Amino acid sequence: MGQEGKTPPARDLPSSARSRLTRRRQIRKTFNNLKITVLCGVVTILVLRGTVGIGSLVGAGGGTDASEASQQKVVEDIDRILREIRSDSDPDDDDQIPFGFNSTAAVLNYTSAEELAAYANYTLGPKISDWDEQRRRWLEENPGFPSRVDNGKPRILLVTGSPPNPCDNAIGDHYLLKGAKNKIDYCRIHGIEIVYNMAHLDRELAGYWAKLPLIRRLMLSHPELEWLWWMDSDALFTDMAFEIPLDRYAAHNLVIHGYPDLLFEKHSWIALNTGSFLLRNCQWSLDLLDAWAPMGPKGPIRDEAGKILTANLQGRPAFEADDQSALIYLLLSQQKRWGDKVYIENSYYLHGFWTGLVDKYEEMMEKYHPGLGDERWPFVTHFVGCKPCGSYGDYPVERCLKSLERAFNFADNQVLRMYGFSHGNLTTPKIKRTMKQTEKPLEVLDQLNPEARIETKG
Amino acid sequence: MLRLVLTLVVLCGAIATATENGFRLRRALAATSNSSSDGDGEDAPRDPPEPYSLGPKILDWDRQRAEWLRRHPDRPSFLAPTKPRVLLVTGSSPSPCENPVGDHYLLKALKNKIDYCRIHGIEMFYNMALLDAEMTGFWAKLPLLRALLLAHPEVEFLWWMDSDAMFTDMAFEIPWDRYAAHNLVMHGWDDMVYEEHNWIGLNTGIFLLRNCQWSLDLLDAWAPMGPKGEVRIEAGKVLTAYLKERPIFEADDQSAMVYLLATQRDRWGDKVYLESTYFLHGYWDIVVDRYEEMLKIFRPGFGDHRWPLVTHFVGCKPCGKFRAYSVERCLKQMDRAFNFGDNQILQTYGFVHKSLASRAVKKIRNETSNPLGMKDA
Repeated sequence: MGQEGKTPPARDLPSSARSRLTRRRQIRKTFNNLKITVLCGVVTILVLRGTVGIGSLVGAGGGTDASEASQQKVVEDIDRILREIRSDSDPDDDDQIPFGFNSTAAVLNYTSAEELAAYANYTLGPKISDWDEQRRRWLEENPGFPSRVDNGKPRILLVTGSPPNPCDNAIGDHYLLKGAKNKIDYCRIHGIEIVYNMAHLDRELAGYWAKLPLIRRLMLSHPELEWLWWMDSDALFTDMAFEIPLDRYAAHNLVIHGYPDLLFEKHSWIALNTGSFLLRNCQWSLDLLDAWAPMGPKGPIRDEAGKILTANLQGRPAFEADDQSALIYLLLSQQKRWGDKVYIENSYYLHGFWTGLVDKYEEMMEKYHPGLGDERWPFVTHFVGCKPCGSYGDYPVERCLKSLERAFNFADNQVLRMYGFSHGNLTTPKIKRTMKQTEKPLEVLDQLNPEARIETKG
Repeated sequence: MLRLVLTLVVLCGAIATATENGFRLRRALAATSNSSSDGDGEDAPRDPPEPYSLGPKILDWDRQRAEWLRRHPDRPSFLAPTKPRVLLVTGSSPSPCENPVGDHYLLKALKNKIDYCRIHGIEMFYNMALLDAEMTGFWAKLPLLRALLLAHPEVEFLWWMDSDAMFTDMAFEIPWDRYAAHNLVMHGWDDMVYEEHNWIGLNTGIFLLRNCQWSLDLLDAWAPMGPKGEVRIEAGKVLTAYLKERPIFEADDQSAMVYLLATQRDRWGDKVYLESTYFLHGYWDIVVDRYEEMLKIFRPGFGDHRWPLVTHFVGCKPCGKFRAYSVERCLKQMDRAFNFGDNQILQTYGFVHKSLASRAVKKIRNETSNPLGMKDA
């Protein structure tokens, strides 16, 4: 540094120069401080990056690893147990030759159901011929179990169920759970009892046929029941206010959704739907079950029966006999025997095929209200062909699951209304309050009309 | 110069730590705000200083209810002189379980409850809705119970039951008249609650709550430790300090109940019945290995250690990820408990499970053409 640039000491300067000098010093000091601050900042950033970087390394190596490992173990354990459960199917569940079948017989070539039934030699149970009389006497002797409930309505039992094993698809169990809740809600509101079956009572009549031995068993065990209402696990109640007009069926024993022209003229295999029907607890019904069952036994009989059904019913694909086709065939071929006691109902959706309904829920809430039960506000939305529990459905999985959720929430809104809540929209499980709480909740309750329009705005 | 350098280093260190903490805090806040959206954030956020409340204070519920019952004789609160109208309340999350087999076990436990309730003339409510975004998890039952009490004046008792509890005595009937002078019945022991202040002195997984003013007041007194976040965390510390053997975690409804009863015995104690003569709650780990022994020696109807009314799978959490117990033991024992209960139903239809571990059933008696025994011999 040359002499020229050197700043003389302050005391050597005149006062004005001194103040100028002080200011200059201040400016330099500030500048220096600024430099230090910037340096500090840079160092801080470097240090921070270093710590965070190491931190995440340490985290990955240490704590996270341990919990991740234990999580992994849990997942592996569950997988292993699931595999065990799935492989733990009873040997009887396998498609073995049904009891009584002669394996050395020639290839079956039956052209008539009667021959098949005679060959099958299968029965649901010992023949009972005087069930009406037995039942009447029992009711007389057991007045504590009347066949009519408190409000004079006949006693109804809703019967549904699902297989005892976990679903192949985990989401299937979730929708079985939601379906069960949905049925509990409807039945609580309408004073109906529920049986949820998870047992294979008859290894020959497995699958969709399992409802027959179950219904028979329940009828005979519960003489106090007037009606049994079978409902598939993939059917949801979507009108919580609708009441079945039982008086209409005073002279009938089987109430089933369908279309007479499809049945009697077209012989269509979907003329009726056995996913939701009512069966009276009486001799006629026991006889019907007996006449219905013979196409059911698993194996060659069911396969042969399937061929007969495909040959005789319009539109039926080739597959083993199902209970619905078999019933249609029975009612067609033995119309005189059964026809007069069968009520084919289509004035409301005792069964409502889902594809035409699920996209219209918002429109329904806009225009109509619960209690109608028909195409304006379907009583039951039935997810035929979705099979969320199994691996193969007839429709895209996404569409099925989304629609199931919508139907569930559509119904749930009608229940939640009583408590002052509603789903924000039909796709969300979240709910919001639609009715402010008050100190006089019973005044609100008394004004609640289950058939009132559902408010869509919160 | 050296002093400057040292100051620099210290300053930088301080700034670094402060910013690091800032990041951590922000991460924590972000985490909590994420979890708050599992509830329903649609309601307007509550003004923080205002204390939490389950709803507007009702002071004359007994009178309101009595009037309503008078006007609705078709919905009596008693089905028979000693048989009150009961609503069993249970539920689970509306989202699918994290555990792929969880929903299946929820379904089985639900079927189990449907069976018991059908036989005993009890109505059911399966809840799948979060009524209050602040009262999440085990606290969610409080707003639910209040809503049900107020919307169902015809119900005399609410019977809360956890989703991980199963009925294993299908014949046992609750001794309702024993509780004629009580409003809250829980499994537990007086000394463990009032003297020891033990956090497991009672169990709030299964309890009976009468529909009356007292119960509304109790719910109001019980709720304050529940709201998610700071309140629940701080309350947890209070509970851990006060209650015997309580681990460190946020406030749970059970500990809060013990605390409430222990500190306000005069207010609540006389209407609370701590029942231990039967297993209104039966801790599964001490019960499940004895089912075969029970089958050999005893029969349904005892409801106690000989034939437990309820087997409660505390700590198994089939819906989430298992924590306290091994996955295998939990699932296998839940199957056994389910079958143990199911056998009592199936037997009335002539069937039984092939073994307590098996899903398959077999016939135990031949069918007859005289199922009701109505035919003359």
